[in-house]
Amino acid sequence: MNEMKLDFLRELANIGTGHATTALSQMLDGKLFQLVVPDAQMLPFTEAADYMGGLEKVVVGIFVVISGDVQGHMACLHPLESARTLIRLLTGEDKPEIDEMGRSALQELGNIMVTSFLNALSKMTNLLMMPSVPGLAIDMAGAVWESILAGAEVAGEVTVIRTRFSAEGEAIEGHIIFLPDEDDFNKIARQFGLEEH
Amino acid sequence: MAKTVLITDDTAFMRMTLRNVIEKNGYEVVGEAANGEEAITLYQELKPDLVTMDITMPKVDGITAIKEIMKIDPQAKIIVCSAMGQKPMVIEALSAGAKDFLVKPFDAERVVESLRKIGS
Amino acid sequence: MSEVFVNMGEISSAKSQGILTTVGLGSCIGVTLYDERAKVGVMGHIFLPRSRPNDHGAPPGKYADTGIPAMIDEAVRLGASKGRLQAKLAGGANLFPNLNLRSISIGQQNIDAVVQLLKQHGIPIIGQDVAGSHGRKMRFFVENGVVTVTAIGKEPVQI
Repeated sequence: MNEMKLDFLRELANIGTGHATTALSQMLDGKLFQLVVPDAQMLPFTEAADYMGGLEKVVVGIFVVISGDVQGHMACLHPLESARTLIRLLTGEDKPEIDEMGRSALQELGNIMVTSFLNALSKMTNLLMMPSVPGLAIDMAGAVWESILAGAEVAGEVTVIRTRFSAEGEAIEGHIIFLPDEDDFNKIARQFGLEEH
Repeated sequence: MAKTVLITDDTAFMRMTLRNVIEKNGYEVVGEAANGEEAITLYQELKPDLVTMDITMPKVDGITAIKEIMKIDPQAKIIVCSAMGQKPMVIEALSAGAKDFLVKPFDAERVVESLRKIGS
Repeated sequence: MSEVFVNMGEISSAKSQGILTTVGLGSCIGVTLYDERAKVGVMGHIFLPRSRPNDHGAPPGKYADTGIPAMIDEAVRLGASKGRLQAKLAGGANLFPNLNLRSISIGQQNIDAVVQLLKQHGIPIIGQDVAGSHGRKMRFFVENGVVTVTAIGKEPVQI
């Protein structure tokens, strides 16, 4: 994975996240929501599992399979506290435990963010990228992460793109992870005139 | 008499959100479907004036459901409400017979506007 | 008493005392090997069942097929006798059960691979808490071989 490719992936992630966070903004419209700042980073595989404040910290993870012209996976993760805040902002309810409606709200939010990300990329590249019905897990960060990496068949030297967004006024943190298959990533790169390898 | 609407979406949260918007604006939600299969069954049972349809759903997806409902009732008025806004998908949905395509997240006004326009 | 954290792909060992802990077992499988007499304990946190040919420089503990033999070697190095080793397993869950992933649940594949390998090496599995759809934390007390498994919001359970 050379530097140019990394930069390109970073740029894609930035654009995608920009759209995803705009969507988030719109969903929380009229509520205490202001600026959202995406921040793209590359993480080596081994470090990927331990970055949300510890492996044992509880997070909410949404995971989808991407099909169409581009195959791969995507995930959206929130620390539990952020997830609770999001549920409160989306449903108007503040319960100690996350109930079925709360889970449903998170799943829908994750679905919209991931799909907005892919819609943006699709428009830029003319490649169809369809997300599946999402899976949702609320569990220890380490467990969720490794399940995502294993499910996406990520191994070896593949790098994980992570973009972080946060909102001022409300402590909301989220991470979008884009994991295209190697070949399909090259497909996207080619649409931008970038050479393979 | 209020126009009747069948809501189709795989998440309870979105069904609840849509129901609130639709009912506040003078329509009657007569049913909720959690996937395309339920939408087809409920359409036949309830014969709603309007249908909102998600695309990405388990069991039977929205495009298939649109096609099946249009077969049952070529006059069916289906409005797609989906996060999936990529052009080929929009074209496919409209070709299958949907009358409008709203990309999530949409605001209440947009939904009502579509219901009024398509419902008349 | 010192607690050593075993991360994904790692193998750690201890003799007579200490706690080996691995946190966040999702689809991964945590394996402990213990020789009760020699009080030698080894813990591994295995990510995938079979090693990948293009994954150069991967730690042996990342894959079951290289991990189990490496764990056995480590136990023997610390003075364990292979014939006395006993294993316990935790993990191998599927956190996203409603998702149609491309291959059968990696968690289940990991369980199958580890069970098979341990059988091949003649090592009995005397305790386990595997599969399901929740993450686990595994703690291994080398002084007496006790292994506890904890899921979020639950009390630790001994296996």
